[in-house]
Formats: sequence, C-alpha cells, structure tokens
Amino acid sequence: MTQTSTPGEEAQLSVELAGIWKTFPGVVANAGVDLAVRRGSIHALLGENGAGKSTLMNILAGVYRPDSGELRIQGLQHQFRNPADALSAGVGMVHQEFRLIPSFSVAENVVLGAAPSVIKTRQIERDVAAISHKFGLKVEPSQPLWQLSMGERQKVEILKVLWRDAQVLILDEPTTVLTPSEVDELGDILRRMANDGRSIVFISHKLHEVSGICDEATVLRQGKTVAGSLDMATTDSDELAHHMVGTSPAIATRPEAATPGRPLLELRNLSADGDRGVCAFSDVNFKINSGEIVGVAGVAGNGQRELADVIAGLRSPSKGTLMMDGTDITAASPRRRFQSGLAYIPEDRLGVGLAPRLSITDNAILRVYRQQRRGLFILAEKAMAYCSEIVSRFGVRSGDLNGPIATLSGGNLQRLLVGRELDGEPSVVVASQPTRGLDVQGVKAIQDLLLDQRNRGAAVLMISEDLDELLTLTDRLLVMEGGIIRAEFDPGTASRHEVGMAMLSHAQVTAQS
Amino acid sequence: MAFGIGLAIALFLGTLLLLGAGHDPLRIYSRMFEASLGDPDAWAITLNRAVPLGLAGLAVAIAGSMGLWNIGAEGQIMAGAIAAAWVARIGGDWPGFALITAMLIAAIGGGGLLAVGPAVARAKLGVNEIITTLMLNEVAIRLVQWLVHGPWKDPDSFNFPLAPMLPDQARLPTLFSRAHFGLLIAAAVIVMASVAVRYTAWGYELRIAGSSGATARYSGISLPKKVLTVLVLSGAVAGLAGGVELAGTADRLTETISNGFGFAGIIVAALALMRPSGVAAVALLFGAVQIGGQSIQTLGVSSSVSTILQAFVLFGAIGAGVFSRYRLSLDGGSHSIPEKAKS
Repeated sequence: MTQTSTPGEEAQLSVELAGIWKTFPGVVANAGVDLAVRRGSIHALLGENGAGKSTLMNILAGVYRPDSGELRIQGLQHQFRNPADALSAGVGMVHQEFRLIPSFSVAENVVLGAAPSVIKTRQIERDVAAISHKFGLKVEPSQPLWQLSMGERQKVEILKVLWRDAQVLILDEPTTVLTPSEVDELGDILRRMANDGRSIVFISHKLHEVSGICDEATVLRQGKTVAGSLDMATTDSDELAHHMVGTSPAIATRPEAATPGRPLLELRNLSADGDRGVCAFSDVNFKINSGEIVGVAGVAGNGQRELADVIAGLRSPSKGTLMMDGTDITAASPRRRFQSGLAYIPEDRLGVGLAPRLSITDNAILRVYRQQRRGLFILAEKAMAYCSEIVSRFGVRSGDLNGPIATLSGGNLQRLLVGRELDGEPSVVVASQPTRGLDVQGVKAIQDLLLDQRNRGAAVLMISEDLDELLTLTDRLLVMEGGIIRAEFDPGTASRHEVGMAMLSHAQVTAQS
Repeated sequence: MAFGIGLAIALFLGTLLLLGAGHDPLRIYSRMFEASLGDPDAWAITLNRAVPLGLAGLAVAIAGSMGLWNIGAEGQIMAGAIAAAWVARIGGDWPGFALITAMLIAAIGGGGLLAVGPAVARAKLGVNEIITTLMLNEVAIRLVQWLVHGPWKDPDSFNFPLAPMLPDQARLPTLFSRAHFGLLIAAAVIVMASVAVRYTAWGYELRIAGSSGATARYSGISLPKKVLTVLVLSGAVAGLAGGVELAGTADRLTETISNGFGFAGIIVAALALMRPSGVAAVALLFGAVQIGGQSIQTLGVSSSVSTILQAFVLFGAIGAGVFSRYRLSLDGGSHSIPEKAKS
C-alpha cells in the first residue's frame, strides 16, 4: 500500500470526484458534484440536510454506484461495485449508526468480516492495541463492546477502518454521539491520522466544530458543489454559513398577517430527555396565539422532534408545564389531547402518524374509530364513508380504499394524514416537517392547509428545516439549537442569512447579541 | 394456483426422495392420501388432529398479530389439560354437560394462568416474552410428569405413568366416526377470533399495535394493557386446546398430552401469516400431512423420510402462497415489493 508520503507527493490528491450524478426515484441527490481531498488533510463536507452529502460519501465508499461521473483514488480511476471494492482501494467509512456486536470484544469487532480463518486472539489484540496506541484511540482490545460508551464505540469503528489499512477515512456526522470533550479528543485523533499521511472526510453541519478540526471544506447545496476546497485558515464561519444556506430570497409572497387572539398553546419552562436519556431540550418557553403560525427552525437533532413529541403527549417532559387554552395538559394522554383539540402531524409519517401494514380506511379512522362503533364492532360502512370524505376533501389520489396504505405515494400519504388531523377543526396544530420530501404541488397543498387553519383561528406550530418555507409562512420564527431556543425573529424583516447563522452556530449568535 | 404449483413441486421433490430411499412413490402417495382423506374414518382422524393444531396455531397467531411471540403454547396446552383433568377428578359425578363445560373453562383458565407471568413481565418491564414463555414450558412438563408419576398415577396402570381414564361423561361426544365435538369448538373459536380481530374496535387496536407500536401510542392506545390481554388470551386459547385434546382424544392425562402441538402451532401460525382467519385451513392441511406421514411408516418408510416428506408438502403448498405475494426484482436492487395477493 501507499508508503508514508514524501515531501514531493504531499500536494497530491488522495480523492478526486468529478461530475458525480446520482438520482433516486423522484429525487436528484447529486447533480454533478466535484470534490478533491488532499493527502494528509482533514476535509470537511458541509451542507444542510438533503444537500447530498451522505449520497456522495456512500458513492465514495462503494455503497451506491453513481449514474455518471469519475472517481479517482490516489490518482487511479476506480469503479466500485461494493464497499469491499472501496476498502481494497483504501477507502473506509465510519457510518452514523454503528455496526458492532455488543457481546464481542473490541478486537473481535475490529476484525469482524475480515478475520483470518484461524483467529489468533492474542495476536489480533496486540495488532489492535498497536494501532490504537499509534493514533491515540484509547480502548482496551479485550474489553467486551457492551461495556463501552458511545464515544468509545466510535473509536472501535475507526479502528475497524484503520485495521483494514484505509488511507481515506469518511466520518459521517461523527460528533452527534459525542460529548464536547470527546469531540476535542476526536479532533486530536484525526490530526494524528492526517499527519500519518491519511486523508479524512468529515461530514458535518456544525460549523463551530468544523472550523476547529478541519483544514479544508467543500460545501454542497441541493446536490451541487457551491464552494470547493475552501482553506479553513482563511475562511470564517460567516462565509461558510453563507455558502450553506444560500442567499435566494423568499420566493412566495407572504400571506397577510392575521390578527392573533388569545394564547391557545403555552409552554412554560419545558424540558425533556431524548431517547438516550440525555437532555434533548431545556427551559423552552413560548406561547402561540389563536390565528398565528409560529415556526421553529433548526438543524435536525437539536431537540425539535422531542419538543413536538412532548406537546403531543408521546414523551413525558422532565420538567415544566404545558397549557392548552388555559388548561394544564402536562399529564393528559395523547387521546385526551386530541379530543380537546390538539392535532399532531408527526415527522415520521408512516410509522407514527400512519400504521404501515393496514389499509387506507383503517388509517383514516385512527382518530375517530371509537365514534364509529356499534357494540364491539366498528361499522365498516361508516368507516368507509369517513375515509372517502377525507380522501375527496383533501385531494388524496388513491385506488382501493381497502388497499394497503403503502400503495399511496408520499404526497398522498401526507394529504391523508394531514386531512385526518385537520378534519375535526382542531384549535392547536403541531406540524413537524410537514412538507419534507414532497413535490412542489404537495408542498403547496400542505402549506395552504396550514394557512387555512391559521386563518380559521387555530394556533399552529410549524417545525421545519426548510428556511424559505418558515420565512414565508410563519408569523414568528424561533430558532432552536442544542435544545435551547436561541433566538426569535420576525420573518417579515429577518434575512435568511441571519436565521441561518443562528441555526448553525451558537457562538455567532452570542457574539451578535 | 400458487397452491397447485407448490404442491406439484413438493410432490416432485418427494418423488426424488422416495426413489432415493428405494420406495415406490405412487404407492406411498396413495397410502398417504387414503389414510388421511380417503374415507370418513380417515377424515375423522385428520380432523381430530387438526383441532389441537388449529387452536394452538390460533393462540400463536393472536399474539403474533400484535408482533408478540408466544413460544409457550406447548406448556399452556399441558396447563390446560392439567386443569381440565383436575376438574374431572373432583367432579366425576356431575352431569356430563356441566362437567365438560367446567373442564373446558378450567382449561382456558389454566393456559391463561401460565401466560400471566410472561404477560405481566412483558407489559410492565419489557421482559422478552419469547424467553419467559419458552422457559415455562419446562415448568409445565415437570408438573405433568410429577402428577402422572406421583399423586395422580392410576393404580391400575401397571406402573405406567398414566393418570386414570376420564369418566365417560367427561369425554366430548363424537360427531361422526371418531371425530369429536372439539371440531365445532375449535371452528367456533377460530371464527370468533377472526371476526374479533378483523371487525371489532378491540381487533382494530390490536392490528394498529401490531403494525406499529409508535402509531398505537400516537392514537392513545395503551400498549401495556394490550400486551397483557393479548398474551393471556393467547395462553387461554392454547389451554383450551389442551382441554379439548384431553376430553376428546387422549381420555386421560399423560406426559405426552401436548404431543408437540404447541410447537407445531408456531409453524401453523407462521404459515397462516399470523392471521387467525388463515389458521383453520393450514391446520387441516397440517393434520392431513401428519396423519398421512405417520401411516406410511407401516409401509417401511423410515420416520425421518416421512418427516421430510411432510415438510416438503407443507412448505411447498403453503410456502408457495407466501412467495406468490412477492415480485422478483432483477434490476440488481435487493428490494422486493410486497403486493396484495390477487387470489
């Protein structure tokens, strides 16, 4: 394999991607992306959710095959058919979800899938220890994996790639599972690997981390390279944020402001823990009045999903009070909340909002089946009639209403879900990523429905990653970062850039205020 | 259609197997058919076998339609049989109808009782029900063994581990030939369960919870309560199978009263795609194949060859139905799209 680079080779590129195209049914993920990574450097790949970062890296790691475009590793052209091809060319990826076996030891996990036919445990443990010592990856090779923290497990994933002698390491959002001190430690480890002549591609959307760790950065937006190989020493995070969120002005005209009435939803010092028991958001305070859409902007994973779940009653708050139209509903069940007028359009449509294996009708009556009973039975005609009413009123294009829900397209699924939630004229609507992944018509239809609710006098909470949408639709815009409401903007006057900066880096906001 | 193709494939593979083992396939197949479905007597034996298979399969399918695995039907069958046998011991002089009714109710209670522990552990603490139900099988086996070797041993059994014969009025009446009344009980219970799952609000909530626990929580369905009732109900149905088997076929409590029906029930339920409504047909086919397979052993076919043959027919006939719901994709993508079966 490649020897330690001599000074003459240092400027050479270890990864060159040119004109990469990749489309999935209905989505163009990469539209002619270019990327060049210098040998011995840490290269940040930046972009908002859906910008095409993960697709591009999956292509580099051999998971996906590009539709067209060129891929060169250490100057040699390659066409990877699978991840094993990529590995043998020296490209290894550390995925966001770890692929480790809890009952195996660290060393066994490291050699998993590439173990020699006779496993000499001692020998392997010694090899693993040598690599971990060289790069400062502090883990004990004989320790069983289940005893390790998330940060240590990540080191095992990195060791796996290093043990296969990868010269190019891709880390997909590696800091999401780490504590701040572990992030610093990861930075040191990556630096040692770069000094050893390896290249690291670091996928992230957190600017303040990137500027501390990386040498260069490439920014993707909407499947294209908008800035290639920026030198981090001379680029400030302001400029990076500018590249990431773009400057396109809000296209649609803002709907007329409604006159807000009394507060219908009020959060008082609300805090809650996430799935891993770590605080997801803390001390959130805001009110939404009748006839008002309040938006919550933020990069995914900053507490928005948990916030929506707590309001809907699917997650218990650790602290604080939730008031709906003057009544304390902190302890109310999800059903009670819905009956008292709280509709919830969850981010996860098929799996939370809709039951995947059941029919369209079964899904349409989810909120009202108790009203369609006679004795023990659900009246089939009544259920069917209700379903066809939702389908026609909200323009769901569907075949057989008794057919499986999975036969509906994404946009029609969302129309059915939104229609079902809005049918009872709720007083509060919580919509989480309501237009994500929909086509233009679908987006417009859902946005119009939410505006109708506002104009009817409902209080609407809209959580979205689409800044344009939030700036266009909302009456007030909150920015959530690290589980805290960092800033509030008036969408009529705020610029995309200001909001984007607040979303991306905490440091910048404190500097401005 | 798919059923026919699958059966043809199974018979073809079976032919190769039988030829390889040195048998005349035609003679074997015709014996299998005659012994299981050839005349009313054969039908009666097959139906009597299908009854416990169907009830055990239903028990597993009820839990399965909510995504739970009741691996303990075997033990619950024994618990049901023990409870029914106990009632027969204390109520030997009761009138027939009252005695049988009491026995079957006791059987339901016995099976349900054995499932209460796993159900509570799963609902309240999230303990995996596969492990707990499986382990309780062992408990039920030891309990039966202790009873038939010890306190309930028949003094006239020449020291065999058998409980005394049931009194005549504790036996289920026969319908025709040797087919007993348990057939109607099983049919009624399967129909009731199918209707309940498909058309009632209770069944609707069950199907929602089975499709996605998160959706159930979202709509306000209490998952722990659902898990508790469904697992206990599953145990109760398996217990009923034990009571029916005792009063219909076995006529006395033995160590082998459950005869593997609880484990076969898992296969029945899986082949019925965890749908209560599919259990009856699968159980009937399963019963016929088992009876036919046993009968050919008198023709010198070894029990292992017979068992392989049974497996071919079962999986060929029913497996084809399962696979016909999928579409093969040859574009290199590894996703196959489930389609609603057209048949």
